[in-house]
Amino acid sequence: MRARDLVVPFPTVELDSPVADAARLMAERELPGLIVLDERGAPVSILPGTQVLRLAVPRYCQDDPALARVIDEAHADTFVRALGERTVRQAMPERPRELPVTDPDATLLEVAALMARTRSPLVAVLDGDRLLGAVTLSALLKRLT
Amino acid sequence: MTVTAWVATIVFVATYVLIATEKVHRVKAALGGAAIMLLIHATAAGSAFFSQESGVDWNVVFLLLGMMIIVGVLRQTGVFEYLAIWAAKRARGRPFRLMVLLLVITALASALLDNVTTVLLIAPVTFLVCERLALPVAPFLIAEAMASNIGGTATLVGDPPNIIIASRAGLTFNDFLVHLTPLVIVLTAVFVGLCRLLFRKAFRYDPERAAEIMQLDERAAIQDKVMLVQSLSVLGVVIAAFVLHPVLHYEPSVVALLGAGLLVLVTKITTDDALREVEWPTLVFFAGLFVMVGALVETGVIAQVSRAAAEATAGRPGVTAMVLLWASAGLSAIVDNIPYVATMSPIVADLAHHVPGGDHNVLWWALALGADLGGNATAVGASANVVILGIAERNGVRISFWQFTKYGLVVTAVTVALCVPYLWLRYLL
Repeated sequence: MRARDLVVPFPTVELDSPVADAARLMAERELPGLIVLDERGAPVSILPGTQVLRLAVPRYCQDDPALARVIDEAHADTFVRALGERTVRQAMPERPRELPVTDPDATLLEVAALMARTRSPLVAVLDGDRLLGAVTLSALLKRLT
Repeated sequence: MTVTAWVATIVFVATYVLIATEKVHRVKAALGGAAIMLLIHATAAGSAFFSQESGVDWNVVFLLLGMMIIVGVLRQTGVFEYLAIWAAKRARGRPFRLMVLLLVITALASALLDNVTTVLLIAPVTFLVCERLALPVAPFLIAEAMASNIGGTATLVGDPPNIIIASRAGLTFNDFLVHLTPLVIVLTAVFVGLCRLLFRKAFRYDPERAAEIMQLDERAAIQDKVMLVQSLSVLGVVIAAFVLHPVLHYEPSVVALLGAGLLVLVTKITTDDALREVEWPTLVFFAGLFVMVGALVETGVIAQVSRAAAEATAGRPGVTAMVLLWASAGLSAIVDNIPYVATMSPIVADLAHHVPGGDHNVLWWALALGADLGGNATAVGASANVVILGIAERNGVRISFWQFTKYGLVVTAVTVALCVPYLWLRYLL
């Protein structure tokens, strides 16, 4: 079995999409993460759900975890509203890490190893420059067990 | 001068340019420079590793190491966030009062910790507080970077240039307390007044917003009270040991290392965790720098420069001190003050012998004041400024080079000008 047998079409967002829209897309379709495309349509980042959440957390709370504790419940409940027009580009991590991207010929073991190494619940499958879709963690686990 | 001396000078200047322009990472540049100095026999292992005058100053390296460990543990306790939010609530949302309290906390913290750590701690909480009060955050951040540079001038451990000066000049923690701290208190007060003028447009008071600041819970910042008490106690012991040097006779580097060891011993922090907080590249940078400057000492370049400087100022301590003060301020505005002071220290040590009469330490104080305060002049003058601009940008607030520098030039001119009467009245009359 190869990656091409497990790949499913996967929704994408662009660098200039608002973070709020990205979060909504994930919530509505219960996605494990998102694929971010650049202007040319090539994936620049694969964000696991937890990292999309990170985009919504105020930067000062990421810089200093103690500050998340001092914020009162009323404000803490609505922190996502402060996002405003922030785009995915503005909220991307500074140092890009290895992307969970593979080709359609990758074996299940390759995909699993890549997922584990990059801590990503989805792996994008590219045929050359063309994005075919993604293999999700749950699809992979169903196949393995 | 010999051929080696000339080559060493060229290598040194080239390395300096690379460090100042950041064309190459500063650690790479300093180590590269040191490597070439060793290759051309401008210096050798014997002097580089073991000489007091021309080798790595291990007092400086180990004092920094010890303080980095202590500060690394202290910053995890949440005590700074607690203080800053407490201050914001005490200010009842009044913008200028808030700025005064934040600046005083920053200056005080910088006197004991290094400046970069201080601004790393104060900047995120400033974002939170300013967001609540709908205040422009840039003026607060700029003022905090400057307060940390001014506050750091006050003590031996406040700013790395002071650590180098103390070790090279044989000055104690108490010398700094007696000679620089009183002046820095005055400078901080004047600086706070200046901020009232410089940032007057930023102080918009909104009573509704002010009420929201009272909902923050500063006590939640502290997660582990036991560790807080332990680390503050160790910091207290360390400061006491610095002050009690005339009685205990422990060098500052030894005190810092013992303090760091004690902290690891009494808290639940593991050795691994403690060592992870150390900025190893900075320590290696210092070592490389010392070897490079040592090569200039070994080849006689430094002696030549100081002789020329002594002749130029005709051996008059007053003129020498003033030139040193203003030239240090000017140069530190452009280049990192750590390599600057590392280079100037052997020159000033020589000058102190050549210049007749008076209190010779005045030259050291002029160097310290010029180098530390000069860092405020431009956005790249001190590490704290660079770090603040970086944090601001990550949070979506761009502070341009000139936005910082237009305030920095005013603050530096005023603070350095105030040093002039202080040095004259106290040491040169």
